[in-house]
Amino acid sequence: MANVLVVDDEPNILLSLEFLMSHAGLTVITATDGETALQRIADTSPDLLLLDISLPGISGFEVLEQLRRSERERHLPVIMLTAHGREVEREKGLALGADDYVTKPFSTHQLVEKVKALLGERDT
Amino acid sequence: MTFKGLPKRQRLVGAWLLLSGISLLGGVLFAAWLDSQIALSSLARVALWLGSLSGGMTLCLMGVLLERRLLAPLRHLQTQLARWVANPDAQDEEAPEGWLKGLGPDLRRVSQSWRADRMRLATAHAEGARSASRIRQELETLLQVLETPLLLCDRHRRVMLFNQAAETFFTGNTGLGLGKRLDALLPTATLANAMAQLPDDGSPREMLTHCGQRWVKVVIRRVPGSERETLVTCSDATTTWNNEMGVRAELNRRLPPLRQHAANVSSAVDALRHIHATNVPLELRTRLEGVMHDESQALNQHVAEFATLLDDLQYHGERLRPIWSNDFWQALDERLDPAHRLITPIGVPAWFKGDAPALIELFASLVDHLRCHLPTRGFEGEISLQPKRAYVDLMWRGAPVPEGELSVWRDTILSTLPLGPAVADILRQHATDIWSVADADKCHARLRLPLPAITQTHAPREMAPSRPEFHDFGIAQLPAPDEALAHRALRCLEIVAFDTETTGLELRRGDTVVSLGACRIVNGRLLASDAFDHYVDPQRLIPAASTVIHGITDADVADAEPLHTVLGEFRDYVGDAVMLAHNAAFDMLAISGHGVHFDIPVLDTLLISKALDEALDGHDLDTLARRYDLHFPPNTRHTALGDARVTAELWLALLPRLEARGIDTLEELLALQANAFDKEDASAP
Repeated sequence: MANVLVVDDEPNILLSLEFLMSHAGLTVITATDGETALQRIADTSPDLLLLDISLPGISGFEVLEQLRRSERERHLPVIMLTAHGREVEREKGLALGADDYVTKPFSTHQLVEKVKALLGERDT
Repeated sequence: MTFKGLPKRQRLVGAWLLLSGISLLGGVLFAAWLDSQIALSSLARVALWLGSLSGGMTLCLMGVLLERRLLAPLRHLQTQLARWVANPDAQDEEAPEGWLKGLGPDLRRVSQSWRADRMRLATAHAEGARSASRIRQELETLLQVLETPLLLCDRHRRVMLFNQAAETFFTGNTGLGLGKRLDALLPTATLANAMAQLPDDGSPREMLTHCGQRWVKVVIRRVPGSERETLVTCSDATTTWNNEMGVRAELNRRLPPLRQHAANVSSAVDALRHIHATNVPLELRTRLEGVMHDESQALNQHVAEFATLLDDLQYHGERLRPIWSNDFWQALDERLDPAHRLITPIGVPAWFKGDAPALIELFASLVDHLRCHLPTRGFEGEISLQPKRAYVDLMWRGAPVPEGELSVWRDTILSTLPLGPAVADILRQHATDIWSVADADKCHARLRLPLPAITQTHAPREMAPSRPEFHDFGIAQLPAPDEALAHRALRCLEIVAFDTETTGLELRRGDTVVSLGACRIVNGRLLASDAFDHYVDPQRLIPAASTVIHGITDADVADAEPLHTVLGEFRDYVGDAVMLAHNAAFDMLAISGHGVHFDIPVLDTLLISKALDEALDGHDLDTLARRYDLHFPPNTRHTALGDARVTAELWLALLPRLEARGIDTLEELLALQANAFDKEDASAP
């Protein structure tokens, strides 16, 4: 069963995402800020990261950049989440190495599909 | 004072000699007769002879005395007065002699005070002229830097003045030019009507007219105290209109459905929360869940559309103006370090949109940070165009800047800008962000700032630095444009001098135009910047023999428009003017038969010159240019525009000679020209 780390400082969305991901047959770990997220990644080596951009402390972009620079996690699939939804942020996320990008509000069904697709790609 | 009454000197001398002679002769005859009649003692004889001759001798002596003491000084005075009239400032004055000596001091006094008055007048005039010229210069500078497009029209709606902003605003519109009617620029009947009914107190009237692809807001007002002159200012209403009617209207339109969907969701949520309390059928619960699902989908959709609209709104911000990348890099370089070039622009230059002063400060701050952060001293600047965006990139040799570092740079305050915004504020203003990535070669890295791109593709037009004729207040004195053209004075005619370069001289056997140039004469002045200069695609090869003459090659005309298109533009350029060419028969043949009609009078400097100087040989352009001392810049002879300008200068040289012969109106000139043409025709073999 694949491990998914969901990083978001909004507990309400964490609650739903955790439930929906588990329902889709995934193991969910959560973090509410950048530092914790990096710690969890080091501890648990997740198979996929759902990463919000605006986090207290270091931002989602910085977490992403550090991952891409590290030897161990540079290929970890990352889906960025954002409430800003500006076109430029999507471009920036992809430029810094995100695999996909989802703007809030999103359809949870589509999000789960994206997660599964990325995990499938990695497996093949 | 007039000397008309003075008798001629010779006549005076004659009368004097005659009278003296007669008196002396009479005296001699009388004395001889008396002497023969009576015998006198020798003393009495001497007394008789002296008495008889005394009258004649007195006359003779009186004459000499009058000449020496009165007449010679009078003549001298006459010369002196004439010299004063011719040259009032001449200093070599001589005091009158003889009996007129007493007039000396008075005359000197009169001449001195006259000279002093003249001096005072001259000084006052020079000062007045200097101050007028300074005021004029200041006014001209002011008009040229004014960002509002501005035109001044006389009572016949002819343009007497326009500023640089107006020139930029109406770029590509052939209707703008000194002496041209405003109707050609803004062809609206309502504008003409409104101008006729303007109040005299200078209060403005606003109107919206359609001009090409855009709506132009025109504000017109009468200049108080003028001869019904009108000041016209313009602004592009399309942008404002788009802003107000476009994105903002769309945002307004989207709000009610958003409220609707939100209401639907909250109602459904409320209903579901009450389900546990009451005994409701499963079917209703399923339907309520369905409603929530549908409504939340709709809400998501609407929020996404809202976000797009908000981005658009940001991009239409009024402070975001088109910027040409090369100008931007140069301005940034000058801001950073005027002595050294720090940034080398590379790649293809492009347009993007932004608040230039803010962006320059933003980049200056980023470069300062980069120079502290990196060992590198120089950067490259590049613009890469995406479908809707232009990436403005700074590149260097080395590693990218970490996001954590950039987030510190974003908080830098740009204290030189009004209100001291942070880098992040300027980024927000442009709805954008910065990031740094390594290039594919792993040796270079770049800092990227995305900005809205614009569809403009061509480089900015070079602005002519000096443009002396953007106004001519003499236009108001020209006769009304609807006055019969035939009776118009030659000096008042608006004339377009033109010339064609062709593939050869056999126009009837397929030779055609490769270049068409023209210039305009308004109010007896050749306008330097109002020119028409176009290559024409002849749709055939240009013979080498012709290229030798005009220097135009097939490559030059490869991208040119075909003749009928250029002629359409040329017809617009000519407008209501009279046409002028040297050997017009050839040029008129070259431009006829292509569907554009020039049913206006045509003047020919060749025929006019022949009519004026029948006896002289040589009426070709080079000979006439030499004869009238006309000069043309090197390498402009045998270019269409160059020859058109020489023809125009030639016309201006011929004009005073025509006027001296009493040929004042177009009608008279056309008759003279037709006469010369008939003579030429009759003498042709």
